[in-house]
Amino acid sequence: MKKSNHTKFKEAFLLCFLFLSVGLFAQEKSISGVISDGTGMPLPGVNVVINGTTNGTGADFDGNYSITASEGQTLVFTSIGYKTKEVLIGSSNTYNVSMEEDSALLDEVVVVGYGTTKKSDVTGAIVSVTADDINSRPVNNAIEAMQGKAAGVDISSNERPGSIGNITIRGVRSLSASNAPLYVLDGIPLISGGIENINPTDIESIDILKDASATAIYGSRGANGVVIVTTKRGKTGRFTLSYNSAITTQTLNEAAPQFNAGEFVEYRRWAKYYENPDTFPRGDQPTIANDEAIFSGDDTAFNNILRGWESGSWDGSKLITTDFTDFVTRTGFTNQHTLSASGGSEKMKAYGSFGYINNTGSVIGQSYERYNAAVSVEITPTDWLTFGGNLNSSYSTQEYGQSTSGNVGVSAQSGLYQSARSIFQYTLPFDSDGNRIDFPGGDIAVKTIIDEDLYSQDQRVTLRAFGSFYAQLDFGAFGSTLKGLKFRTNFGPDIETYRNGSFLDGQSVIRTGSSYAALRKRQRLSYTLDNLLLYNRTFGRHDVGATLLQSQTQFIEESNFMAADNIPFASQKWNALSADNVALSRYDSDLIEQQLLSYMARLNYGFDNKYLLTVSGRYDGASQLAEGNKGAFFPSAALGWSIDKEKFLVDSNWIDQLKLRVGVGVTGNAAIKPYSTQGGLYPLFYPIGSTGVSGVQLVTDDSDEKILANQDLGWEKTTQYNYGLDFSFFSGRVAGGLDYYNSETTDLLLRQAIPSITGYVNTFANVGETKSSGIDLTLNTVNVRTEDFQWSSDISASWQENEIVTLANGKEDDIVNNWFIGESLGVIYGYESDGIWQESDAAEIAQFNANGHTFSPGNARPVDQNGDFVIDANNDRVIVGSTIPKYILGLTNTFKYKDLELSVFLFGRFGYTYNTGGEGLVGRYNSRKVDYYTPNNTNAEYQKPIYSAGFGDTYFGTLGYRSGSFIKVRNISLGYNLPQKITNDIGLSKLRFYVQAQNPGFIFSKVDWIDLDVTRPANNDAGYSLGNSASNRGFTVGMNVEF
Amino acid sequence: MKNNKKHFANVFIAFLLLGMVSSCSDDFLDEELTTQRSTEYFTTEEGIQSLITGAYYKVLASPFPSEQQFATTNYGADEFHVGGDDTNSPWNNYDGRFNSIIITTRTQAQEPWDNFYAGIAMTNQAIEAIETIDSNNDAIKRTALGEAHFLRAYNYLKLVRQYGGVPIKTTVSTTVELEFTRATAEEVLAFVIEDFTKAYNLLDNGVIFPAQISKDAAAHYLAKAYLTRTSEINDSWNESTKSADLEAVVRLSDEVIANHPLAANYQELWDFTEPDGDNEFLPELILSAQFSRDRSLVTSNFSTVPFTARYDDLPTMKRDLTGMRPYSRLAATYFTYDVFDKVNDSRFWKVFRTKHRVNRGGTFEGVDYTAGEDLGIMYIINSPDDDRFDLTINNNNPDILYNGKTIPHVYVAHAADGVGLLPNPRFPSLSKHFDSSRSSINDNRGLRDEILARSAETYLMAAEAKIRMGAYSDALSYINAVRNRGAYKNGEDRSFYTDGAEAYPTSEFTQPIEDNSYIKENSYYESNSIPVSTDATDLTITGTASLPAEDEAVFAILGVSGEYDRMLNLVLNERTRELCGEWHRWEDLSRTLTLVDRAKAYNPEAAPNIKEHHVLRPIPQTFLDGIYKDGVTLTPAEKAAMQNPGY
Repeated sequence: MKKSNHTKFKEAFLLCFLFLSVGLFAQEKSISGVISDGTGMPLPGVNVVINGTTNGTGADFDGNYSITASEGQTLVFTSIGYKTKEVLIGSSNTYNVSMEEDSALLDEVVVVGYGTTKKSDVTGAIVSVTADDINSRPVNNAIEAMQGKAAGVDISSNERPGSIGNITIRGVRSLSASNAPLYVLDGIPLISGGIENINPTDIESIDILKDASATAIYGSRGANGVVIVTTKRGKTGRFTLSYNSAITTQTLNEAAPQFNAGEFVEYRRWAKYYENPDTFPRGDQPTIANDEAIFSGDDTAFNNILRGWESGSWDGSKLITTDFTDFVTRTGFTNQHTLSASGGSEKMKAYGSFGYINNTGSVIGQSYERYNAAVSVEITPTDWLTFGGNLNSSYSTQEYGQSTSGNVGVSAQSGLYQSARSIFQYTLPFDSDGNRIDFPGGDIAVKTIIDEDLYSQDQRVTLRAFGSFYAQLDFGAFGSTLKGLKFRTNFGPDIETYRNGSFLDGQSVIRTGSSYAALRKRQRLSYTLDNLLLYNRTFGRHDVGATLLQSQTQFIEESNFMAADNIPFASQKWNALSADNVALSRYDSDLIEQQLLSYMARLNYGFDNKYLLTVSGRYDGASQLAEGNKGAFFPSAALGWSIDKEKFLVDSNWIDQLKLRVGVGVTGNAAIKPYSTQGGLYPLFYPIGSTGVSGVQLVTDDSDEKILANQDLGWEKTTQYNYGLDFSFFSGRVAGGLDYYNSETTDLLLRQAIPSITGYVNTFANVGETKSSGIDLTLNTVNVRTEDFQWSSDISASWQENEIVTLANGKEDDIVNNWFIGESLGVIYGYESDGIWQESDAAEIAQFNANGHTFSPGNARPVDQNGDFVIDANNDRVIVGSTIPKYILGLTNTFKYKDLELSVFLFGRFGYTYNTGGEGLVGRYNSRKVDYYTPNNTNAEYQKPIYSAGFGDTYFGTLGYRSGSFIKVRNISLGYNLPQKITNDIGLSKLRFYVQAQNPGFIFSKVDWIDLDVTRPANNDAGYSLGNSASNRGFTVGMNVEF
Repeated sequence: MKNNKKHFANVFIAFLLLGMVSSCSDDFLDEELTTQRSTEYFTTEEGIQSLITGAYYKVLASPFPSEQQFATTNYGADEFHVGGDDTNSPWNNYDGRFNSIIITTRTQAQEPWDNFYAGIAMTNQAIEAIETIDSNNDAIKRTALGEAHFLRAYNYLKLVRQYGGVPIKTTVSTTVELEFTRATAEEVLAFVIEDFTKAYNLLDNGVIFPAQISKDAAAHYLAKAYLTRTSEINDSWNESTKSADLEAVVRLSDEVIANHPLAANYQELWDFTEPDGDNEFLPELILSAQFSRDRSLVTSNFSTVPFTARYDDLPTMKRDLTGMRPYSRLAATYFTYDVFDKVNDSRFWKVFRTKHRVNRGGTFEGVDYTAGEDLGIMYIINSPDDDRFDLTINNNNPDILYNGKTIPHVYVAHAADGVGLLPNPRFPSLSKHFDSSRSSINDNRGLRDEILARSAETYLMAAEAKIRMGAYSDALSYINAVRNRGAYKNGEDRSFYTDGAEAYPTSEFTQPIEDNSYIKENSYYESNSIPVSTDATDLTITGTASLPAEDEAVFAILGVSGEYDRMLNLVLNERTRELCGEWHRWEDLSRTLTLVDRAKAYNPEAAPNIKEHHVLRPIPQTFLDGIYKDGVTLTPAEKAAMQNPGY
């Protein structure tokens, strides 16, 4: 009874999604069997058809099939993702079939924007990251998932839970307009980014369009590359339930130790000595009286110094060293869970998932928690209409940790960890009574971080929902003349609400007695509405395709903010900013609107699968550009030639694929803020007596608002040529792609400093022309392959360089803006280093000092370029180097032995100058442990310390320019797939365990005290949450289960 | 069936096409700025007045929220040197860091320059709008226009006094402009005088003094511009205008003085008890930068902090609202300590804080101190020939008692050990800008107005003009008027002290009363060691031959001799006694070419470095690098030629 019910149910179910393949039963005999995949795992949902008939069936969940056929007929087994298999029926009644995965990259489908194409038909430079790549290591978001997987895509790390790194595709072109690529989620371009809100486990593929012939169909937004993210869909015939889970532990790794207690005391003594050698003794001739004078203000700390004097003479090792970072760091944990289900029939496909991630950072007070829910449904109710929708939603709470919001501290750092690093190690956190010492060391600029987690909070809550809804009409259903013609409407709403609440107690390290609370709320609404007419048809050897698009996008942001000091009691946080309770110190509200209107046409033509042509043109109008300059046209063309299909190669036994691609395209960039051409006035109130009178200013003191509205502002346009070769040799043992590109950008849109005589210090302008060129190489090799062992390497390498061709005034260098003809956009212009002045340079020093300098031995020595014994800005500044890396390398080596898999991921950047900033060595503040000049150590790396509250040595910065090259091991991963036998026994279809080491260390770095990976090279904008010397190092244990 | 399909399809397509057509209306791409006004606003009278209000803020008040104000006017001269904190010290020290690029974390070379021109751009915009608008309204055509000319001239006068000749820009910029060159100082001053004259002719005195710009304010600054033109720094070209200018100075000054009587007691000027209180509206005041309590106002005044000495890091002491936030940028020099007649002249004792009460308490070197009761810090600013003290720094010295008890920290200006106050971050703080109405202990945002012009200065400008004319006894009568207001009145308690800390009850931040380090006493008697007296004093100077001993001491150090130089230096000394720390000093010394000698003599950090060329500021490198000549950028040689000599 039970059994038959079960069978009935199963049959009904099968009928439901495979009814088309259920045909008439033949009379001969009943054939049955089990269908499995290459690993021996049962494969459900495979179509089984008797060749030459419409008779067929489908395999059930356990891969069992049965069909009635007669001897001599052929069974055809088909399933998406597997090679078609044919079996001739003999005398047996049982045919177990093993389906071979269709692993050839050639037939992968690639998303090219407004459609997909077979990889073999691609004519542009596109690199894809698959779900398998993404799931191979646990990542917090889609950006991390791409890291190092794609040549020409440079992604830096971010160490703050819930914050993302910086991504550039084919290098930095524009230093002031945005370099962020365009993200397209399920066909909808995201006007305000936010791809990090997607659960990476929900991602089916990421396709990165790099060259202009590919990105030009996104016109104005294609200049920085396009990242197309496609989320998972249900698949016909395969119902799956999977569960992914990972736990990661992270600890903070500090690359730059600081002076310990004794070393700092000695360092400050030298600094004081060099500030005024007449007043203070030499650093190596200490006296208690001098220590008392220069370490005043904190008795507990001074008593610690006295420990060094206990024996009568100074012994720095006797001091207690306190590393205050110990009080703000912890082992961070990340928990990730995703449960997803998918499946589908011919009429309906669905996918749904729940995801959860909880990441407690390695710095106290930082954490990130995110819930994801995704659902995707596609219904084909009739043969002429398909209707579908995807909804990706996320709700996240980021505990940002200490931020600079509400900062009134004397010398506040950008985060809690940096604040802890700024506390002297010779000081103690608590006095003899156990009370917290507010200012360890007695300097008002150095406040303690003890208990800071109780005193500061910055909480950011984001609710984000991306929708993508579409209806597609297939005219082919109405008659064969219309075959291949489709009309599609996409509607993509994108909703974000964001709330940032911060509260700081008066005790906080960045407050000075009074409390503070602030609340910022923001709502963003945007939508994209596309109407597409698509045509694809094959006439003999001719493949013809056409795409016509009309699209409009609108973006609306409303925000408001309020803040107050002296919050009555702490538990109110930011939730009681009412007039009855507290007077607001600041409030504002704002509205930003932005629109884009576009038309696009694309034509594809392929002949004999050998010659491929794509031509497209897009017209974009952007609201934020000046009247009369809003619209622009962006054409592209690309040719592909599958050489391997030519007669002379088709019989080659070692060439699997060889395709040449040539493309050219024009892309634009209007990535300036809305209203940049409008010249809005800034309101203010100025008191006349005690009465505030309303007034306006042309600019404000905020440097972002000293902008001259440029009413001629137009599009920046980049014309890029791309030459590419896709190849696969020796049955895929060597495969990859090589692209060379060069591009010219005209009317480069940059923020430009202008003479302040006009009243403005900056403007956005179309300033000139740049060119860049580069090579991207993707290479996958299987180096060793035996029955049980395989070693493969995946290399993504890129080289790029750019230079300024002309500027607004022709071939004139623009020093103020750091733009030089023939040089890269990101150069360092300044004084070159000539090391450190030595005693033996006394004669030269005297010549300089006669000209107004104040050099002495031990000072940093700049190069006097024109040899006139004056270091002056007009004659002695030169281009010191370029900050943009020339080479970027990602290398993954994977070793498989039976069910074990080990992979090592290396990442490096090379060929650029990094400005470390030099070491101030002013003695007042805590410092990294460095090798500094003293009379006993004249051959030092850095200048002599000079005590100061500002800058001690005039040219110390010259000692800070270093080569930024490094190679880092970002990830080592060891995975184990349980053998099929075992998983079958426990009723699972797949079970994988893995352990990983994240960020285990550098193989080499020219700047060993800075983690250059977490530092953005182009603008030195380092730090994020940890400063530039620390990064997280962690271990992950995880599993993937599939039922 | 097929027909039905087609029918549905047609409806579907029609629906979509309809959506498509309706969605691409023509104005979809119009960008409408709804949250800000645009320059169109300036075609209205309201808009013009708003712009003038904005220019008031930009020109008069905006230098005060930063370190620019003291760096450009108080540093590097004779009155103040670098206190305990050298963060912005290149402006004082003239060392290798002080050039067209200034190596500092604070006031960059281009900061004052850029700010002056930002204000000028607003006034250019206003003048153009007023000249364009069709209006007969006096509020626009006279008042607003007069104010615009005044504010423009005000910034050009600052520019010429700091940099010498600068580019003169009088038009509105709507696109990038790159070709600029410096006018001569002569041209700039002529332009300044023309603009102030227009303002003088357009404006009247029916205003709220000192908040609004008046005819008197225009007269005061016009006099200042004339006086600047007659000064030594312009001697190479000013001969032809000199005598007319000097007469104009006197005429204009007399006019202003008549309308602005001096406050009876010097104390009244500094007796700040609440924002917008009575002392901010004294008749003596001609113009001040306005700050007020309302948080919606963008204004805030940073001046409360740079003059404050460290007190909070000493045993028994802690930081508090009345003690101010000790930025310790500026400490008085021995010039300032010694230029006052400290027995008869009340002015030193009324603006320097010489006593701090214990506000943390505890035991210091074996002595218990009680917060709110005992004296914590005292500065004894004694006469150079006072031989009572062996040590500069006296901790718990049993010979120096307060109410019979020792004092944890006493610092003596003139002691036998010769250490002095200069190397120490402990010094009597100038309290003219103190303000305890701020919202918390470390809040830098002061609410107190900043005096820009008051008639005591007008007196001294008239006096200087008279000296330059050779009319010394006329000059002395102006000087004596100012001096005698600073003398002690009959019955006055000379140990009484008050400053802006008195405003602490109006702060939204409250602290226990024993936390107040502020105390309403000075160290007059401890410093002067004279019997208590309530007699009036007299500071009258009777003739050029008998100048005060303090001045003679300064002349001796500076090597000043000859009647004219003695009198010119007398008026400069008098300016310190009256106007010390009021944002004039560097410009007064540079224009009279007394800067180098006086800085060498009194400013310990500037002394080794200052050279003749430092009487003008370096032209910012950003300007030199950014401008074009005939379509091309300047060569290094051209830049050097455009730079002030010596940089």
